[in-house]
Amino acid sequence: MPELELRQACDGCYATRFNGLSVMEAALSIAGYDPAPFFCELLHQTKSSRRQLELVRRRLSESNVATLVSRAREAENELFNLGITFTVYSDKDAIDRILPFDVLPRILSADEWRIVETGVAQRVTALNLFLWDVYHDQRILNDGVVPKALVLGNSNYRPEMAGLDPPCGTYIHINGTDIVRDREGTFRVLEDNGRAPSGVSYVVENRHLMQRAFPDLMRGLKVRPVSNYGDQLMARLTEVAPAGISDPCIVLLSPGVYNSAYFEHIFLAREMGVPLVEGRDLVVENDRVYMRTLAGLAPVHVIYRRINDDFLDPEAFNPTSMLGVKGLMRSAHAGHVTLANAVGTGVADDKAVYAYVPAIIRYYLSEDPIISNVETHICGTRDGLAYTLAHLDRLVVKPVGESGGYGIVVGPKSSRAELELCRRQVEANPDNFISQPMIDLSVCPTLVDGKVAPRHVDLRPYAVTGRETWVLPGGLTRVALKEGSIIVNSSQGGGTKDTWVLGEDGS
Amino acid sequence: MSLLARYADHLFWLARYLERTASLARIIETHLAFDRGRDEDVSWAWLVTLHNDEERFRKAYDEASFKNVIRFYLADMDNHGSVRFALRAARENARALRAVIPTEMWVHLNEFYNRYLVMTEADLDPIRIARTCEQIKSGCYAQLGVAESTLYRDEGWRFFRLGLMIERADQTSRLLDVKFAQLATGLSSPAISSAQAKADDDTFWSLVLRSAVAYQAFRRFEPRGADADRVARFLLVNSSHPRSAAYCLMEVQRLLGELRSGFGLRRVGTAQEQSEALLELLQAAAADASLATRLHAVNDQLQRRLIELTAELGRTFFGYPEPAMQSQSQEQS
Repeated sequence: MPELELRQACDGCYATRFNGLSVMEAALSIAGYDPAPFFCELLHQTKSSRRQLELVRRRLSESNVATLVSRAREAENELFNLGITFTVYSDKDAIDRILPFDVLPRILSADEWRIVETGVAQRVTALNLFLWDVYHDQRILNDGVVPKALVLGNSNYRPEMAGLDPPCGTYIHINGTDIVRDREGTFRVLEDNGRAPSGVSYVVENRHLMQRAFPDLMRGLKVRPVSNYGDQLMARLTEVAPAGISDPCIVLLSPGVYNSAYFEHIFLAREMGVPLVEGRDLVVENDRVYMRTLAGLAPVHVIYRRINDDFLDPEAFNPTSMLGVKGLMRSAHAGHVTLANAVGTGVADDKAVYAYVPAIIRYYLSEDPIISNVETHICGTRDGLAYTLAHLDRLVVKPVGESGGYGIVVGPKSSRAELELCRRQVEANPDNFISQPMIDLSVCPTLVDGKVAPRHVDLRPYAVTGRETWVLPGGLTRVALKEGSIIVNSSQGGGTKDTWVLGEDGS
Repeated sequence: MSLLARYADHLFWLARYLERTASLARIIETHLAFDRGRDEDVSWAWLVTLHNDEERFRKAYDEASFKNVIRFYLADMDNHGSVRFALRAARENARALRAVIPTEMWVHLNEFYNRYLVMTEADLDPIRIARTCEQIKSGCYAQLGVAESTLYRDEGWRFFRLGLMIERADQTSRLLDVKFAQLATGLSSPAISSAQAKADDDTFWSLVLRSAVAYQAFRRFEPRGADADRVARFLLVNSSHPRSAAYCLMEVQRLLGELRSGFGLRRVGTAQEQSEALLELLQAAAADASLATRLHAVNDQLQRRLIELTAELGRTFFGYPEPAMQSQSQEQS
């Protein structure tokens, strides 16, 4: 039982050393690891879960990096064979790639998680109230809190949604909030994702992988479980079934096997135990949605759809869509089917509307935001444009409509020519851009080229809302594997880590 | 709630592609052994003729040499009848089923497929080809075994078995047609009354038995040894050999009956009538004293009617449009 003895020894010496409060910075003695000047997710002091954190630091310090590397390789191999992959299609072959996985976990203490959890729930509640208002009375626009043009002129505003009453007033059933920490360790929301946020499958699969590959690292820790995500999702989606349906038929609507997120669709359908359908499997008759089964048509009541608004219903939106189902919007209006997420939520997670979310929270909830925004300059406003152009070399400029990290210009890391190009683009179409100060994202120890090195991370917690909001304890930690990079998107060389939310210390 | 129709479609074709892959690997493997025995560089055009692939083959290759035919059937992605294509199609069907089939089934197929993808030129070399075929074959058998021991016994399982049985009957029928294909391509000469020709012929029919994994069973059942008539009868109507056409069709009947009585799928009626008629066709063939000379005509009928049966299942259950159209990748060779 060498492992157990080690733990007890650690616990013992911890108790005597920790009171000095100075041991932490030195505790992770993996050769050459130096997070300065950034905030390190593993080495900083926390108010809670201290004993458990010290245990992890000890174990990491005492582990052999070469062993970690070989175990990491085995873990990646397993991901590949499990088919936890995204697929790149060429003419003749399907090339499966795994999302790079880093085996050193990102850890949040109980007190840190409380901030994230309440902050995310607050934000989702406010955004749902905002969406109801936008598609009904438009009080917030008439009161001048959010500019009318920004919402009604937004390409993601869907007039077809006016007057539709989704059950429980919930529009955003599944939400992902991108959160970062600055140099002081303060949490800040970078972006809301209220359309079809992806990545939750990696949260659960990464955990399963860690439990298989590194059980010794987790032993004795109170890591909060993430494997009940499917049950929670199922329960919340049951709550939002059309009126009078107590045992709804729920399906997951996917664009199909050629979609790069297909693995996640499989995962979600499997974890909820619902059919994974494609547009061709559904049909609308008399404003009701049915699924084609062997025995004929079977009624469908709730659709978790992973098809964008544009392609969802060729009758209401893009008429050339082959992925969608004709008549879905009619059925939703008639109250016979609930679409999750509702159509038109893109007006709430828009990068320009983002700047108004603190005001939206205060307007509907009369509360201050628990997690602040990053200071944002809207280039569509005169002041915002002037400020942005005057400080291009110090700001991060983002196109409003893009996702996946595309088109982002990081001023301090750009050449003069790149900045000049960016200036011209912003001047040509200011409405399409926002700018933010560059945040020195926090770092995590990460295995890179056989060494442990600091790499920048963000966090995407997932919130599921039916009558109320539940936040999955954990979330997707994305890590920028390139040295110095602050862009964590997988399309830009990002990987993922398992995210451990610790319970309180105690017996 | 009844199973999503598309799942049944994917299960049906998953089984068919696995069975097809195994059959192809097996037929190449057994005939390789025969070739080595004769120790001469023979043409493999018969394999192309057997699958009615002459036109497509000629477009891509000059001559039906061993090397070209092996490449065409093992590695050629443009050939929809190749192992490579069939395995990819099997995996694509399994991929669409991942939310319903056990993870074990997917992982096994995925590993098998990934191993196959790294196949190189060297694996097609005459020295290695037997081992390559053996690996493909056992990969498929293992996959079918995983399905047998893990798949949930619902309607989907019945459609998986239907696909397996229909494909198997088709493949057995094709094996019985190898001689015809060889005659057509001039590889074999019609039987002449010499002792050598008789010996060659008996060797050939033993080979057919081995290709159908029926050699041991046949010897027990028919101690007089292999000839065209006895082998044909065995592989067409024996009711106990799991690869005989009649066995497969009786299994089809049983599965259709379960779908009707156990799952309330009354629309199996037409398919039941078709499989009934197929069994009658086989019984009539078995009663024919000159079966050996009419074998190709029987096989032709059998294969045609299996295609019709597949089309009927597609129309009635998988939502294929009229007239019978199979979805993009799922074609019958």
